[in-house]
Amino acid sequence: MRRTAGILLALVALTVPFWIANPYFLHVVIMAGIFGILALSLNLLLGYTGQLSLGHAAFFGIGAYTSALLTLRLEWSFWPALPAAVVAAGIAGWAIGRLALKLRGAYFVLVTISFAGVVALVSINWMELTNGPLGLPGVPAPELGSWSLRTKTAYYYLVLAGAALSYEVCRRLIHSRIGRAFVALRENEPLAESVGVDGTRYLVLAAVVSAGMAGLAGSLYAHYTRFVSPEVFLFTYTVTMVIMVVAGGKGTLAGPLVGAVLFTVLPEALRAATSWQWQMLAYGVILVVLVFFLPRGIVPTLFR
Amino acid sequence: MLKRWLRITVTVGVVAGLVSSLAGLDVARAQAPVRIGVIEPLSGPVAASGNYIRMGAEIARDWLNAKGGVLGRKIDLVIEDNKSDPKEAASAAEKLIVRDKVPAIMGAWGSSMTLAAMPKLEEYGVPMVVETSSAASITKRGNPWIFRISPPSEMEAVGLEQYVPKLTIKKADFLAVNTDWGRGSIQAFGDLLKKNGLQVGAAEFMEQSATDMNAQITKIKSTGGDTLFLTTAVEQITLVLKQAQEQRLNRKIITTGGSSSPTQLIKQAGAAAEGTYHIVFFMPWFPESMPDGKLAKAFVEEWAKRGHPFEGLTEGFRGHDGIMTIAEAVKVAGKDEPTAVRDALWRVNITGVNGPIHFEKDGPAGKESGQSKPSIFIVQIRDGKVALPEFARK
Amino acid sequence: MDQLLQHLLNGLVLGGTYALLGIGLTLIFGLMDVVNFAHGEFYSLGAYATFAGLSLADLNFFAALGVAIVCGIALGALTERVLLRPLRGHSIDTVMLVMIGVWISMQNGELLLWGGVAKSIAHPFPTSPLTLGGLSLAPLRLFVLAAAIGLVVGAHLLVHRTRLGRAMRATFQDADTAALMGVRIHRIYTATFAIGSGLAAAAGALLGSVFIAYPSMGDLASLKAFSVVILGGLGNIGGATVGGLVLGIAEELGAGYVSSGYRDAVGFVIIMAVLLVRPSGLFARAERVG
Repeated sequence: MRRTAGILLALVALTVPFWIANPYFLHVVIMAGIFGILALSLNLLLGYTGQLSLGHAAFFGIGAYTSALLTLRLEWSFWPALPAAVVAAGIAGWAIGRLALKLRGAYFVLVTISFAGVVALVSINWMELTNGPLGLPGVPAPELGSWSLRTKTAYYYLVLAGAALSYEVCRRLIHSRIGRAFVALRENEPLAESVGVDGTRYLVLAAVVSAGMAGLAGSLYAHYTRFVSPEVFLFTYTVTMVIMVVAGGKGTLAGPLVGAVLFTVLPEALRAATSWQWQMLAYGVILVVLVFFLPRGIVPTLFR
Repeated sequence: MLKRWLRITVTVGVVAGLVSSLAGLDVARAQAPVRIGVIEPLSGPVAASGNYIRMGAEIARDWLNAKGGVLGRKIDLVIEDNKSDPKEAASAAEKLIVRDKVPAIMGAWGSSMTLAAMPKLEEYGVPMVVETSSAASITKRGNPWIFRISPPSEMEAVGLEQYVPKLTIKKADFLAVNTDWGRGSIQAFGDLLKKNGLQVGAAEFMEQSATDMNAQITKIKSTGGDTLFLTTAVEQITLVLKQAQEQRLNRKIITTGGSSSPTQLIKQAGAAAEGTYHIVFFMPWFPESMPDGKLAKAFVEEWAKRGHPFEGLTEGFRGHDGIMTIAEAVKVAGKDEPTAVRDALWRVNITGVNGPIHFEKDGPAGKESGQSKPSIFIVQIRDGKVALPEFARK
Repeated sequence: MDQLLQHLLNGLVLGGTYALLGIGLTLIFGLMDVVNFAHGEFYSLGAYATFAGLSLADLNFFAALGVAIVCGIALGALTERVLLRPLRGHSIDTVMLVMIGVWISMQNGELLLWGGVAKSIAHPFPTSPLTLGGLSLAPLRLFVLAAAIGLVVGAHLLVHRTRLGRAMRATFQDADTAALMGVRIHRIYTATFAIGSGLAAAAGALLGSVFIAYPSMGDLASLKAFSVVILGGLGNIGGATVGGLVLGIAEELGAGYVSSGYRDAVGFVIIMAVLLVRPSGLFARAERVG
């Protein structure tokens, strides 16, 4: 049952541009894909190690800026810029992990918030590097040989590839010894430590992978919207990621993806369905109702 | 068993709901109205400004419709909220262009929002009239779909230049909101001062949502300057003026950018606003002095009739002029088709509430954007009222 | 020197306002473990309720403040009863998500109700500042500082000297035992959330009159409140107070002597530094971390 569903889903995903002709819908799907990668990354920390990072937008932003700056200032091609963005974000993740060291729970959260706050302010104020609030317009679209990936269809496949890669990385990680260590950390850290699981080491590892993945999403975002500004560090991005992970189902692999699709499509659907005054109010109310009736998240409630 | 049914029903229900609301409202190309897209920050820290512009746009729409609309069809405004987030601005632009099939858009207030929407304009070939954004880069990027009726900071500084000697400035400090607008303003006015041989003191910033500027004010107090250039929206100006009064900062204060809403300042900052100067692009206190006095007066009266707050006029007119410009372009083009409207915008020659609107080429050759030369005014708050400063009287 | 003293004075007043934000949240987050993202919205509610009292009901300033606090308490109790009680026992993230939904709903509801234009709250204090040498302080701010101190002391007394406070401490230490001893835990939870929200509303009412009221004013407030609470030690009212003062003074000095653009960054760096050295915050009871 699971396998057929999986294959069906893959077929659907691969043929999306052919049955969604409307470019606006395709735009929404692409954004859903980028947020899906973000949600997967946050889920690694929140769902599996049990630590909440409320500064995840920082890794997203670092990936976006790195990729944008490398392609704009140093005229790199997109293809080396993307892994560079992943690495830069990963390094930031490592920094968080080391900074947080023995911190857990609310204290870890606060460190992530503070770190994100500092990074955001640097991006606004360090004009020479980031162009500050004016942002970086004109980020080039990726090119494959002489063929530009500017079109939505081409970009969709790029994002799909990124999402599939992220999903696979998560899946492998979760089902490995490392993944089990994460869960042990989440469930009972002192107990895990007593059998030799080094909490800090695994938390740092989770932070690095999680951050790198967010950086991947950031790079994809930068080359799609072709404009990066300090607003990528806005807290609302982090909040959106949290909503996607928790409402979708944290600690599952499909949950974040379901959450990402739902909560990317929902605001746009509301934009079309209601006038601007009611869009976000409806969103908030729907969110409350959803969480109320599906407190463990969509995927765990419906599919467990 | 129940769980399985529940599972299936919910999944189907959710998917169906989403698909239908996205697809089902894919309105069949309405033949009747001419739709104009509007993207403004209707929520968030600058919601006031965005809403004033929306109100001005609605007045323009209603006036035009009362006179038969354009091309014999009614004008319909499709309004979107960009929530002060560039990503939202881009999504809104895409939705307006693809779903609502608007031939032109007005927006997006903040420069970052406008810049984020610009690639979409090029992608689909739809023009946008920029009504507020001040970043120079908007018209210099080589985007032939951009037409701006608001002044970039450099133009504002040039507008002030004639009054500089009368203002007796020797050393000026700057306090600006930490956005492209604030920074651009500091750059432009700083250059202006230096060009005139005057001294530039400290340049301090404040975050857009900050409410406590005491630290910056304390610093500015110690520079020995005699003038403070203040660039931010009216709420923060109110706070700065009040806190400056509390700290007994005694100097000339000049606000730039046109978002200072002097009437609101008088109401909310009271005595703290006394003596301050404001660069504005519309003088609703004496509309007869505007280039088209009759139009300006009528606008002020209609605004009051609708119960909108008077203080919103200094920004609301932008919405009016933007829609008026687009409607005129549609008329000149003879059809509501984006490329035709774009070409027609170059031929627009009208007078809005602010003054003459006519686009000149700006930016790299071959891909020029349009930039109009708006009128710029300076007013002062004296005795709790807005007046023309002595030196500006004709 | 004058400048330094003025900065310190500014920082003290600013810190007092942060402390006010923190004490409400430390009860809700520190004791009840609810990641209350809507805390800032109760803050805004306080400001708007004061405005409504003054402009619609023509009350005097202090009466309007009182009304605002009552609104905060009432809505807080309602929220707890309707949304949080049924979800008790669920994961902390689920509760957090509900409060995010409440946050979005409340803020956009306020936007719909009041519009985006900021509202000024009239107050009866003279606007000319009190001066001492080179220092200046507005009378209103002095009042706010005094009120903040009063509320902090009041909250501390409530938690440590009253029966209700004792019941609260018992419930949050060990709910089962407390229940066995006859404490009506459901009521305690509601009361705690209500009090915390009332304190947030009080902060909003006071600060709304110092600054202005606008729909997104709660966002920054929430962020500062969380920082202050965690910095000062969860559940620790005194700690939240000190944390607030430290943050306020640090930000003020940072803006004054480092750079106004990086003002908030100074606060963040200090937070990270404190947590590196004292992982449970400044004053938390020594507990196992990690």
